[in-house]
Amino acid sequence: MTTARQRLNEFLFPASSDTWLIVLRVGLAIQVILCTLSLRSDWNYLFRANGNGIISRDLTEAILNVDSPIIPRVGWLVAIGAYFGLSEETVLWTVWIALFFTGWLLLLGLFCRITAVTAWLLHLCAVKSAGLMTYGMDNFTTLGLFYLAIAPLPNHYSLDRWIWKSKNQDPHLLGFFRRVLQVHVCIIYFFSGLAKSTGAGWWNGTSLWRSLRLPPYDVLPSQLVVTFAPVLPAMGIAVCLLEICYPIFIWPNKTRFIWLLVICGMHIAIAVTMGLYLFALIMIVLNLAAFGPWAGRKQRDTTNLAVQKVSLRFVRNPVRSLIGIIS
Amino acid sequence: MVANGYTSLPVALQKLGEKADGVLTMALGERFANSNPLRQTLTTYEHASGIEGGYGFFAPAIPNSYKLVFQLTYSDGGVEYELPRVRSEAAGLRLSGLFDQIAIVRYAALRELMLKMLAYSAWQLHPEATKIRAVFGEIRMPSVVEAKRGEKETYRFMYAYDFSFATEAGEMQSR
Repeated sequence: MTTARQRLNEFLFPASSDTWLIVLRVGLAIQVILCTLSLRSDWNYLFRANGNGIISRDLTEAILNVDSPIIPRVGWLVAIGAYFGLSEETVLWTVWIALFFTGWLLLLGLFCRITAVTAWLLHLCAVKSAGLMTYGMDNFTTLGLFYLAIAPLPNHYSLDRWIWKSKNQDPHLLGFFRRVLQVHVCIIYFFSGLAKSTGAGWWNGTSLWRSLRLPPYDVLPSQLVVTFAPVLPAMGIAVCLLEICYPIFIWPNKTRFIWLLVICGMHIAIAVTMGLYLFALIMIVLNLAAFGPWAGRKQRDTTNLAVQKVSLRFVRNPVRSLIGIIS
Repeated sequence: MVANGYTSLPVALQKLGEKADGVLTMALGERFANSNPLRQTLTTYEHASGIEGGYGFFAPAIPNSYKLVFQLTYSDGGVEYELPRVRSEAAGLRLSGLFDQIAIVRYAALRELMLKMLAYSAWQLHPEATKIRAVFGEIRMPSVVEAKRGEKETYRFMYAYDFSFATEAGEMQSR
């Protein structure tokens, strides 16, 4: 019993360096910057209300209300702005500028905690208020920013660390947050692969053919895709196997690097052949943060006593522990 | 997906899927009324952490693409055709996602409202148009064999709505 508990503790609270968190912070910063830049010319058009946008924000937020009226949204920010006499247009641009700057602040590692929480909240508001026009990339960016907002910050290579000389984070807490991200990434790939493998199209190549030919993903010339058609069934099956087997082969040291390499290669291929660059970027960032080559590197404090101390603190009062980390 | 029979799995597994779906529904508080604070809190947490949508992207099959065309009619009887416009490729990708949503909406009034909003944004670029017909359809891709024979994608009509917008900005009327 004790051994099982000890093993669970060791699994949940391994000692880890903060390199994975640096990768997550910098990767998400680049993602936020590129995401806001890519929508710069259409930003207000996407979020205007009263029939002045492409699809009125009022409608999206009304649909969001069916799920829950307490989900953050741009409408709240517009209402706050209106209280101070700001127009909708001004507030929307302010949100864009704030999101863009939080991306840069995250990249530099300045005011890490506040910046991470602000980036997550603003991104969440934007994604929810444009809910009818979002896709997987938005969900994964929200997910990454959520983890970053609650993770032990600041970390190395940040201005916060350089200016305020803050001390090292507890390696076991860093390990715990990394572990949660690792398990989550495994769940994502497993269920994604499982869902794909239940459709006949992924076994006979139809799904890959359609994904490469249907607009707006038809980046490659038709003739080129036709030429490679005979290998599409094998590639479809390979995608299913890669994703389903991800939780099996990503953990052992022997197979981790090759699986990570192939998965990242798959995402690069998706970016090049389907034009889903930001989707590829966020998936690569999450993968590298969770299982990058630095994932197993440990700091000095790896004693079993420290593991037990941290884990016991969590077991006794997880909420207070988390609040302690965040603050 | 398994519970709803969207996959190629046997019916026996569909029943298992239904049971699993029931357990998950209960755990996520979806059995409670929409106004229940516990349900709202759980749903908000799911949205805030980006886990509300599941991970079945492009699964079990790739959905069709959709196309929206506006037919603009002018007072002199002239007719023009227009597509929904966005400036960036990133927004174009999102527009395609919006079309997917319009295609799967089961509530006809909501579908009409969504198309009316899109038509209104087109009318703002052509305020002299007296009538806008929004024609929504599905793009059917040829299979590999058909593509090798030189067949092109085809278009299948799904819905059409006529809208006329008053000249007074912001006032929308449909018929």
